[in-house]
Amino acid sequence: MGRFILRRLIHGLIVIMGVTIIVFVVTRMVGDPVKVMLPLESTLEQRAAFEKKLGFDRPIYIQFVDFMGDIARLDFGDSLWQHRPAMEIVFEKLPMTILLTVVGIGLACIIAIPMGIIAALRPGGIVDRITVFGSLLGLSVPQFWLGLLFIVLLAVQFRILPTSGSATPSHLIMPALTMALPTLARLVMLVRSSMIDELNQQYVKTSFAKGLPFIRVVGVHALRNAGLPVMTLVGWEVIRALAGYSVIVETVFAWPGIGLTAIQAIEREDLILVQAIVFTAAISVVLINIAMDFIYKLIDPRLKLT
Amino acid sequence: MKKFGRLLLMAMFMLALVSTSSFAGNESITIALGSEPTTLDPQLREDGGERAVNDNIYDTILTRTPKGELIPLLAAAMPTLVNPTTWEVKLRSGIKFHNGETMNADAVVYSIKRVIDPDYNSEQISFFSTIKDASKVDELTLNILTKGSDPILPSRLYWMKVVSPNHSKDPKFFEKPIGTGPYQMVNWKRGQSIELKRNENYWGTAPQIKTVNYRFIEEPGTRLAGLMAGESDLITNLLPEFTKQVPKSVHILGLEHPIIILNADSGVTKDVRVRQALNYAVDKEALAKGLFEGFAQVAQGQLLSPSFFGYNDQVKAYPYDLAKAKKLIKEAGAEGATVELVGTSGRWLKDRDIVEAVAAYWKKAGINAKVRIFEFSEYLNRLFDRKTRADGIFVTSSNELLDADKSFSAYYKAGGIGSSNTDEKLAGLIDQARSEIDVEKRTDLYHQAVKQAHDQAYFVWLLNIEDVYGLSKRLDWAGRVDARLLVQEMKVR
Amino acid sequence: MTNKNNIEQAITENRYEWLGKLKELGQELRRDKAGLIGVVLITTLVLVALFASYISPHDPTEQDLTARLVPPAWYEKGSMDHIFGTDHLGRDILSRSIHGSRVSLWVGTSVVLLAGSFGVVMGLMAGYLGGRVDAFVMRWIDTQVAFPGLLLALIILAVIGPSLTTVVVVLSLNGWMVYGRMTRSAVLSVKQSPYVEAAEIVGGRWPRIIFRHILPNLTSPLLTLAILEFARIVLAEAALSFLGLGIQPPATSWGLDVAVGKNYMFMAWWLVTIPGCAIAITVLAVNLVASWLRLISDPQEREKQFARHMAGRMRKQLNLKNEKELARS
Repeated sequence: MGRFILRRLIHGLIVIMGVTIIVFVVTRMVGDPVKVMLPLESTLEQRAAFEKKLGFDRPIYIQFVDFMGDIARLDFGDSLWQHRPAMEIVFEKLPMTILLTVVGIGLACIIAIPMGIIAALRPGGIVDRITVFGSLLGLSVPQFWLGLLFIVLLAVQFRILPTSGSATPSHLIMPALTMALPTLARLVMLVRSSMIDELNQQYVKTSFAKGLPFIRVVGVHALRNAGLPVMTLVGWEVIRALAGYSVIVETVFAWPGIGLTAIQAIEREDLILVQAIVFTAAISVVLINIAMDFIYKLIDPRLKLT
Repeated sequence: MKKFGRLLLMAMFMLALVSTSSFAGNESITIALGSEPTTLDPQLREDGGERAVNDNIYDTILTRTPKGELIPLLAAAMPTLVNPTTWEVKLRSGIKFHNGETMNADAVVYSIKRVIDPDYNSEQISFFSTIKDASKVDELTLNILTKGSDPILPSRLYWMKVVSPNHSKDPKFFEKPIGTGPYQMVNWKRGQSIELKRNENYWGTAPQIKTVNYRFIEEPGTRLAGLMAGESDLITNLLPEFTKQVPKSVHILGLEHPIIILNADSGVTKDVRVRQALNYAVDKEALAKGLFEGFAQVAQGQLLSPSFFGYNDQVKAYPYDLAKAKKLIKEAGAEGATVELVGTSGRWLKDRDIVEAVAAYWKKAGINAKVRIFEFSEYLNRLFDRKTRADGIFVTSSNELLDADKSFSAYYKAGGIGSSNTDEKLAGLIDQARSEIDVEKRTDLYHQAVKQAHDQAYFVWLLNIEDVYGLSKRLDWAGRVDARLLVQEMKVR
Repeated sequence: MTNKNNIEQAITENRYEWLGKLKELGQELRRDKAGLIGVVLITTLVLVALFASYISPHDPTEQDLTARLVPPAWYEKGSMDHIFGTDHLGRDILSRSIHGSRVSLWVGTSVVLLAGSFGVVMGLMAGYLGGRVDAFVMRWIDTQVAFPGLLLALIILAVIGPSLTTVVVVLSLNGWMVYGRMTRSAVLSVKQSPYVEAAEIVGGRWPRIIFRHILPNLTSPLLTLAILEFARIVLAEAALSFLGLGIQPPATSWGLDVAVGKNYMFMAWWLVTIPGCAIAITVLAVNLVASWLRLISDPQEREKQFARHMAGRMRKQLNLKNEKELARS
């Protein structure tokens, strides 16, 4: 177990270093944030002075050494756009994305698991076919488009939900629903197919024959065995959201999370903030991966951890 | 499943009730801005969101009437010239900051020195670059020294927000602003909102509206949705098409001038006939009516609005004349030539649309425009590239000083940051005007410069865009030429 | 002589076999309505994309500022000239949507081909050669999978400048790993099979073995994966263009049209809805085909489906019989 943790941590470190170095190289290659930051009509002297102040006039290797020091201290410096520590901004926005992700994917689980089970009870039946088609449709609708549809209908036409922002819990509903949809669709399909397999297993048939109550057999025995793939998918969806896929939902609903901040920082050429965000995203992904492995181990101790 | 759906709907509905009830209250309004302030230090950044909020918290030395005329604000009278490089400013007495400190010559001198300090590295320095120093004369009088003579110092003082010498040293100053203005800070929830309340001890006329909530929504569509759903009372940059859809709208001629900078030094555009033809070829009326639904006016052959200093009312726009354009192009032997037209997208109202429309017009006149829309920073590379100038570069100039100097130095003058000509005569006129104190002589110099650039057709002057705001039914506001969102001028019915 | 005859015979037999397979496929399709719809839709779409310039009533970039935001034909203010109306610059929405299909299909196809071939080659090498190569490739895949992919893609696009080519490259860089993993595990399972061993004994060199003997056996799972990936890529391109980091004007793309149209969505719903529907229908069609292919390529699933089909027919016959009996009595 100890060796497993060590190997995982080393791999995680490689990932994080790889990501941060790529971002450093890519952004410095063409990055000239100064020209974006100053007003259009500023003179060349003003621009040069500003560049010097920010240290972008130094040779790239010196900047790189500095940058590695920053990572070690977990301090990327002040955001060029917001003029305050980049990590402070990240820590402010990250909880919003986590909230959106947890609620969205939680919602997807709550709806998908019963739906998948019901569909699996009678494969090929009318309920099953509707469910399958519905999930295919859910997989096919672009998220950004669905979000816009929600705004037009629920917020402007019927005025039952606020359009955008994050001030109250009701602001969370539309973004979370939009976030949930593709996950929901994938989950329903997965729960359905793994439940169909489980229900055909001998032990389920035996349990029924023994006269165990229906709910118990389906809900407890079969579901638990179908749990592993479902867990994998849920973990993967969380990783996806944190790895940047929340940006679409956040942009549409002006949800102040890490994705929206990332795209704003990219637009403003705020190298410092971009680096901090990508670094944090990489760490989150690595941590979740490790956590997932542990959960597997808990669910199924027979699994070999390599 | 059905039951669950109904439950969900009910839950949504109840949550919505709770949330909408919080928007009630007669004297509180919500303004949706396009961007969140990055700081509330009024002197550090060049930041539209910061300005929109701080314009209500801080007073400036001079201000402008809604129509654009300069008038004193913290100053008791307009500044007077003591000698060519020294201006004297007298201040009003009895004005206090929100925290009770007194606003006096010390505070103003401190504010001026603070913003021009190179170590402070203010992005607003382009407004104040001519100021050398300031000194106190007595409690309510100060002198401002300029590098060389600066005729537009009063316009600059309209940008000078006065901060408190003590409080501005507070490390939390950037999020706890203290000014002398009609509104004061309540709280700032990063990423969500800023709340201001009325300054009950304001020295001027008391505003009607008690509290202001600022929200930050980058997407214009989403901002509009908020207004249509009754969540906000005022939104900026309303698309002209929506003036009929929103409860109420206000439009006023603004500071933005979209133009196309033509390369007068090389390529087919080196020929003045081609440049003139490119002007004749564009139906500016149609752009204003079609693209902007009439919420824009045709620019009169100059980078200035009628309210700006230096505006030459003798110069008129090139009329739309396709036949003449074709003829000129034929004369110049440039038929079927290809020009590169550089633009960006999403930075200014309908920027991409204008470029595409202009390219279509040019094509009709026989010049193929290769439209290249760049992402903003790459676009800036092209705009600032001094070595290889594109044949045509679209830019929207926004001149907050309401004086010819700033935009002429940048785009008209040879060697300016975005200029594509090497006209020594034009550059000479602009340089001379820059330090000319005599108003009449200075006006004349700019009139000459305007005419020279117009005759040489260094640009395709397109439009002067109106600022369009969307308002809720209950809000009354007339708008301002300088686009400032002064809540004290707004009224709730 | 006989040799020649033999060859000819082999060819005709082969052709028959091929035709037979196609016929079988057609029969399968008729049984699966959803799959049939998917195939028909995709075929139409490909044709539309190929002949876009001939079908579309207008030039997609031709603008008419006097006819902006014209509603679809079935509105009073609409006209048959613009069946789905016009956008904010007076461009024909139908023509734009028709031309937009090219971008989606082109990006989808090229990314699947690029990422797919790279991933498959890596997977084949890792699986067949094993040892160091395997360890290296798998480590690489593990590392890249743990990257925050979309964030990196956005940064790279912003820095290099978004365009059709960069979108294809970035999406390919981001999407090859899944092919690699899948191919590797499939190779491991066929590596020990007799015909591969036979080829090894004969002394085939490894590139020949993996491409001639192993790869053909992976076609069916790879095909399903490629089609699923295609659907994902079409959505990804739309999302990137929606965020402004994908296809740039004056080129057209469905995602780009939605992004532009969203500013007008309260007065002109068709700007957003038509390209949005185009994306949804395309991806749905691809997904339908993918799920059908998965069904027929999986013998287990196929058996189940056949059983269901037969059960349905029996039930129908039973009902008929019952009805007849009822009628008789």
